Amino acid sequence: MGLRRRRVEEAVFKLLMGVSTAVVAGSLLFILGTVVVKGLPALDLTMITQTPKGGYYLGKEGGILNAIVGSLLLAAGATFLAFVFSLPVVLYLNVYRRRGSRFAVLTRFALDVLWGVPSIVYGAFAFLLMVYLGLRASLLAGMIAVALLEFPIMARAMDEVVRLVPPALRDASFSLGATKLETALRIIVRQTLPGIVTAVLIAFGRGIGDAASVIFTAGFTDRVPTSLLQPAATLPLAIFYQLGTPVAEVQQRAYASAAVLTLLILAISLAARTIGRRFKRHTIK
Amino acid sequence: MARVGAVGLALAGVLAGTAGCRKAETGVLSGTVTLSGAWALYPMALKWGEEFRKIHPKIRIDVQAGGAGKGVADVLSGMVDLGMVSRDIRPEEIANGAFPIAVTKDAVVATVSAANPFLKDIRTRGISRAALLDIWMGRKPVAWGRVLGLPAADKVHVYTRSDACGAAETWAAFLGGRQEDLGGVGVYGDPGLAEAVRRDSLGIGYNNVNFAYDAKSLRPVEGLAVVPLDLDGSGALDPPESFYGTRDELTAAIAAGIYPSPPARDLFLVAKGTPSRPAVVAFLSWILNEGQEFVPESGYIRLGPEKLAESLKSLRR
Amino acid sequence: MKRRLRDALARRTMFLLSAVPGALVALIFLGLAGKSRAVLALNSFAGVLFGTTWQPLRGSFGLFPFLAGTLWVTLAAMVLAVPVSLLTAVYLSEYASPKVRGVARPVIDLLAGIPSVVFGVWGTLMIVPFVRAVASFFGATSSGYSVLAGAIVLAIMVFPTIIHVALEVFASVPQSLRDASLALGATKWETTRHVVLRKGLGGINAAVVLGLSRAFGETMAVLMVVGNVARIPRSLFDSAYPLPALIANNYGEMMSIPLYDSALMLAALVLLAVVFVFNIGARLVLVRAERKAE
Repeated sequence: MGLRRRRVEEAVFKLLMGVSTAVVAGSLLFILGTVVVKGLPALDLTMITQTPKGGYYLGKEGGILNAIVGSLLLAAGATFLAFVFSLPVVLYLNVYRRRGSRFAVLTRFALDVLWGVPSIVYGAFAFLLMVYLGLRASLLAGMIAVALLEFPIMARAMDEVVRLVPPALRDASFSLGATKLETALRIIVRQTLPGIVTAVLIAFGRGIGDAASVIFTAGFTDRVPTSLLQPAATLPLAIFYQLGTPVAEVQQRAYASAAVLTLLILAISLAARTIGRRFKRHTIK
Repeated sequence: MARVGAVGLALAGVLAGTAGCRKAETGVLSGTVTLSGAWALYPMALKWGEEFRKIHPKIRIDVQAGGAGKGVADVLSGMVDLGMVSRDIRPEEIANGAFPIAVTKDAVVATVSAANPFLKDIRTRGISRAALLDIWMGRKPVAWGRVLGLPAADKVHVYTRSDACGAAETWAAFLGGRQEDLGGVGVYGDPGLAEAVRRDSLGIGYNNVNFAYDAKSLRPVEGLAVVPLDLDGSGALDPPESFYGTRDELTAAIAAGIYPSPPARDLFLVAKGTPSRPAVVAFLSWILNEGQEFVPESGYIRLGPEKLAESLKSLRR
Repeated sequence: MKRRLRDALARRTMFLLSAVPGALVALIFLGLAGKSRAVLALNSFAGVLFGTTWQPLRGSFGLFPFLAGTLWVTLAAMVLAVPVSLLTAVYLSEYASPKVRGVARPVIDLLAGIPSVVFGVWGTLMIVPFVRAVASFFGATSSGYSVLAGAIVLAIMVFPTIIHVALEVFASVPQSLRDASLALGATKWETTRHVVLRKGLGGINAAVVLGLSRAFGETMAVLMVVGNVARIPRSLFDSAYPLPALIANNYGEMMSIPLYDSALMLAALVLLAVVFVFNIGARLVLVRAERKAE
């Protein structure tokens, strides 16, 4: 094969690669651009400080406070629940169990399975639980569904960081007489704190943006929830329910919700990145 | 650390649980009444909730839409107090404990985009039931020309509802079938269908009266046009068949029985078994008495006196 | 003494908590399967899976149109996503300067973080009219709510998954292999093709399968643009009704039609099983590749 032909082939593929990368980057810009163009003009003080008046499908006045507060409360509660389960599991697998122990392998396998479960299945399962427990569509039910979704994501992200801790550090701690619990909490966690915080943020971001898990479980309302047993509006559902409507003011609320949600997630992404970089200073290399 | 969190959550749960069981103090009713279901009843339920709150400020009325199917599912599984249902209740639902109370009446109308190229013909000829049957239940796509007797080859873009709802069931009943027999692109929710049709100049869909007409102007929603029914199949819209200009004209025609039932139909609030909670019973009996005043101004039709009496009787039982 | 007690208590609690993942997997499968029994008592599993009529009011629960819809949309999405993702991953891994790589990483993460509904909004506003126009260009009529619209939106959603895994796979190919190839006079592209891609083939397959599994389970964005018509699609411009959309749209009807809730839970179970098989298969391949590289 002549050198010339090989060079031409390389050039062709380089072009295709460039185009592909441009497509990927361009899609992001296109989507963010659409959200900004449609959503930002709809965002004003009224939009973020008032609830919809006259019903969220028809009311022309009001804003999306119900969805903003509902989403924040729901995601916070769900993330907390997921954290309460994730951290002990990850610490247990990495500190108390030997590397490659059968229990650890099986548990990690289970976490992998859970990670791949579509959120609609979590919603369906949570709905079964709700009916079984006699729970109504509420903030609490939504928290449970989203916690189920966030748990494997958070656990995996934490596990990846904690696994990287050099065994030498762990062994040094044991040889100094520390119990496994003390090692886990005082040494490992401190070492991996940026990673843990990042894992929590990633899970939070995923949870707050999900619609399929809350569509069965959290209900929807035009009020700000004041108790765990009341239905709660969420930003993703606010978008879904209020988008397809001929009433322009209602549609504006959908675009505003999309803008708020996207901005929130961008902020969380940025925070996760910054924290990861800043805290790395304090960890032992 | 995890333990503190668990205790905290449990405590919060207990506090939350007791929030709904406030005892009635000396005759003042309080609590929450939750409704979910048909889009058709959504505007009316909101209005009723607003007015009821003026008399019983401590009772909170929570209204969610989602379709008649959701209303029945929610009330039968204990998720809400009352289901809003815009179709007839099925025997299986009654067997599962559904207790329907007729509260008002409205109708489903066919809609097209205001940008439809054949709008003038649609307005002067109307569309017959047979043509509508062809559009929604025919095996092949129909051309606008065939529907209106014109030489136009553009195909009709058919839309229907993707969520289980009374509007679709009622529309299907009008055409002689069930919701699952209706063809077309499935769109979620009544407003969603209206918007999809609005955007598609060749589209046709159906909506509840109160989503097809603007509540303030009483005319069809901006960008939407209501399809007159050619009731006698004459191929032209005679004056007695023309009542679609404003919402009130239409509701008068429905009340007079000129607009057929279906697609006009009774709207129900469904409870699981006879309602017993004081707040719920108070709301229901208010709706059947004072609440009826607000029906016409909200774009609905009052129930006839016999039906109303029947509803009241079943409530007292 | 107290420290040891605390340690023992913690150990026991954490062990119990670590049993949760396994227990959850079992619970979810059992819960869905248990609920599905009702509809399977009256119809055979094959009958439900391959039945072509979905008329719950008449008691016929054929899931085939939804499976077909899911397959059409997912496969079309993969056809669009795989070449673009792989080419991008190769570019970022082998050709891009560290600066470009540094910018690309956040871009891909951001794309991965955008919620499904936002994709749905964008799809409804931009892609549906686009498909409507493309269809009429080819002489077909389409409302725009179609397999193609779903595929385009889904493809973009799947880019980050495939790129991320592919990048990891390429990173695990030892640099020495590349250097050897270049030393023998191969061009960079030839090195990439014959060394990196060949070495990483298993991992690339895994990346694709993971992307496939993600695409299969995606609900909201596709639901908003795909048309929700319960008929087997015959062209890219036809509407379709994927399985996740079926569950999301109709859960409300569950109690009023006999066996409907059971049929929907069966649909969820089928979805879970397919995604499960894909995910595990891909993970196993990746773990094996990782071990080989160590």
